[in-house]
Amino acid sequence: MSIKGDTVSPSSTVQTSPKSQLPGASEPSSSRFRDYALRLVRARESTLAAVLILLIIGLSFASPYFFTVGNLTIVGRQVALALIISTGMTFVILIGGIDLSVGSIVALVSVLSGEFMVTIGLPPVLAILLSLIAGAVVGLINGLVNAYVGIPSFVVTLGMLAVARGLALGITSGSTISGYPAGFLNLGQGSVFGIPIPVIFAVVIAVGAHIVLTRTTFGRHVFFVGSNEEAALLSGIRVRRIKIAVFIVSASLASISGLLETARLSVGQPSAGDGYELLAIGAAVIGGASLFGGVGSILGTFLGTTLLLLIQNALILLGISAYWQQVFSGVIIVAAVALNMWRKRR
Amino acid sequence: MTEHPLVEMQGITKRYPGVTALRDVSLSVRAGEVMALVGENGAGKSTLLKILAGAQRADEGSIRVNGEQASILTPRDSQTNGIAVIYQELNLANDLSVAENIYVGREPRTRIGTIDFRAMEVGSAKLLSSLGINVSPKTLVGDLNIALRQMVEIAKALLVDARVVVMDEPTSSLTEEEVETLLTLIRRLRETGVSVIYVSHRMREIYAIADRITVMRDGSVVGIRDAAATNADEIVTMMVGRELGDLYGKREAALEPAAVPALEVRHLGAGKLLHDASFTVDPGEIVVLAGLIGAGRSHLAMTVFGARARTAGEILVSGKPVRYRNPAQAIAAGIGFVPEDRKKQGLFLGLPVRENIASASLASLSRMSFISRLRERDLARKHSSQLNLRASAIDVAVGTLSGGNQQKVVLARWLARKPRILILDEPTRGVDVGAKAEIYHLIRSIAAEGVAVVVISSELTEVLGVADRIVVLREGHGVGEIQAEDATEQKIMALATGVEESVS
Repeated sequence: MSIKGDTVSPSSTVQTSPKSQLPGASEPSSSRFRDYALRLVRARESTLAAVLILLIIGLSFASPYFFTVGNLTIVGRQVALALIISTGMTFVILIGGIDLSVGSIVALVSVLSGEFMVTIGLPPVLAILLSLIAGAVVGLINGLVNAYVGIPSFVVTLGMLAVARGLALGITSGSTISGYPAGFLNLGQGSVFGIPIPVIFAVVIAVGAHIVLTRTTFGRHVFFVGSNEEAALLSGIRVRRIKIAVFIVSASLASISGLLETARLSVGQPSAGDGYELLAIGAAVIGGASLFGGVGSILGTFLGTTLLLLIQNALILLGISAYWQQVFSGVIIVAAVALNMWRKRR
Repeated sequence: MTEHPLVEMQGITKRYPGVTALRDVSLSVRAGEVMALVGENGAGKSTLLKILAGAQRADEGSIRVNGEQASILTPRDSQTNGIAVIYQELNLANDLSVAENIYVGREPRTRIGTIDFRAMEVGSAKLLSSLGINVSPKTLVGDLNIALRQMVEIAKALLVDARVVVMDEPTSSLTEEEVETLLTLIRRLRETGVSVIYVSHRMREIYAIADRITVMRDGSVVGIRDAAATNADEIVTMMVGRELGDLYGKREAALEPAAVPALEVRHLGAGKLLHDASFTVDPGEIVVLAGLIGAGRSHLAMTVFGARARTAGEILVSGKPVRYRNPAQAIAAGIGFVPEDRKKQGLFLGLPVRENIASASLASLSRMSFISRLRERDLARKHSSQLNLRASAIDVAVGTLSGGNQQKVVLARWLARKPRILILDEPTRGVDVGAKAEIYHLIRSIAAEGVAVVVISSELTEVLGVADRIVVLREGHGVGEIQAEDATEQKIMALATGVEESVS
């Protein structure tokens, strides 16, 4: 076939005017308040917050016990203990990793605190310190193996899940330890100005974590590593250090939660913390964290944790068997993520 | 001529919330024709192709295939209409063989229902040799270079009787030699009556193969030209809507030879990819590392930057031997590095432009490790406006920007650090002409401020346009050095390919 000069040229051939009106180049001036309100509505967490509020309203109608001080204190303590772990998990998930060992760390620290405080009879402060150090060392090992050997965190912490649980069982031969001093138990059971002490811990930790993640260089580096590890490395970020630090944060927070739970229940037990890793991962993911890293927030994790535990509470109040609770939790996790994705696409 | 165009898109309009991506766009391709589609990034080429591929739906307009109305709503519709789109990111399974990739989804069966590997290999071999592709069907795709992978993708398209092959910037990561092979293949396709829609930024290729050229700007078609009846200047002017002027910029003051080079590399070796490379860069000088892909240039840059372990030789910065164990140390010493693949190695795509720009400067923006948002914002503003960044806000995710603007963000990151040595690996890959000119001028002005600049480039015109001095690598060895004023494409290619050992 031949090429003839039958080319069409729609519109004027060449405009010589410079490109000036680019889409979005001119920002409409709007009041500061409206900007803020818009940002609030568009924030990833707003859907979740709305769901949570609806749930609370619904619950207060469905059960007369929901809004009692007694029930709220119980829920508050549960949320607090879980939130401390979920906060640590959020750090790990933000770098694109996962920490399956947190539940076992809770058990290990619970058992160690009993050994130190009750069996050996060390002063509580020293015993607490040693238990926390032991927990942090577990995180250090997770981080070192992940960062230097290059084994994916899923596998490393899956191994640690078994190792730490096994240590807890081995140290105690499977039995529980009781007889803690009253001062220690107060950490889990006491209140200050009517606020349960674990709640105070959780608030301080969550707010602190939020500030670290949003305002500090370390927090920024966590996001960079999760967003693009190679780019982070080539931007001069010590990626391995960040990884190790994040696993230490996660393990340390799990340890704190483990100590508070031990104090709350008055026993050191090797079966403590069973399944907590799934609760923490679920909470972070419901809160909008991406398992690929780089996306997530403490606020979201807080909402996710609260949602999961409120639903558990609701099922108890509504008299639904504990066996069925897991079914609901599982469905909620998937549904919440689906909701997030659906919202993002719109 | 009364024959219908093979594919005709008419009056295509596509709106996104707040933006009209395509406005009444028409594109037609005749049988056995190569139609080049050109335009700056963001002009709407990709959206148009996605509509043709069935990956996006047009809000208005129609598509005719062979004169008949075709409804292309899904990628499968596009395929059944004989349209094959080959994207920049190839759709191949690296762990499978060439034959398996070509036959994916339509594997021949033996009588007992298992996959007939024999038939697959024979069929693939026949197809490949008819295209003049010299690859064994049993090779793993992961073992092929990018050019060959692209050809495998083309073969895969032809197996399903594609009559129109759409290629979206197929040469952006190919060496000159590989480009030639690809162009030969396209000519062969044209001879067999297959039509090609060819998207590229490179005028030379377009003139080498296109029959007609459709130019897009800001979501509209601004003109269609017969390749024979136009020239590159006209097309570029149509694309950018203005005269570009001097693409590369020129050195203003003569370069004073420095007492001590800013960077000196002596007999550097690193692993299997780099054996013996030496060069120097003076402050204010632009040295281009030329060579074929795989010659070890990127590896060299990464080694200098502390991202790869050195196994031999020396690196001297301002005359002092250095040994960086990680990029953080190299950066602290005043070295900046713009990597080859900005999406994989350069950017945090989901994070805002502001954070991307500030990512290497956080220490200076923070006190007691708390980042000053005010100073971060100022820094980002200053450097994005300096680079003429079109992002209306510095708070949008960098992944939403066009390729040229993304590259400017990576550049801004290093400008913010005021490096003494800046290494840029393929700084204009996948960048449109307008942004290219800006980047070249920027490189020039950085050098004019006394920064020692190392550019890695596989595009010969770029090598010649940018360099003060050219260092050529081949197979991990430094093979020669050419002053810019003596350099020609032939000399560089001869060194890069080793055709004439005598030239030096």
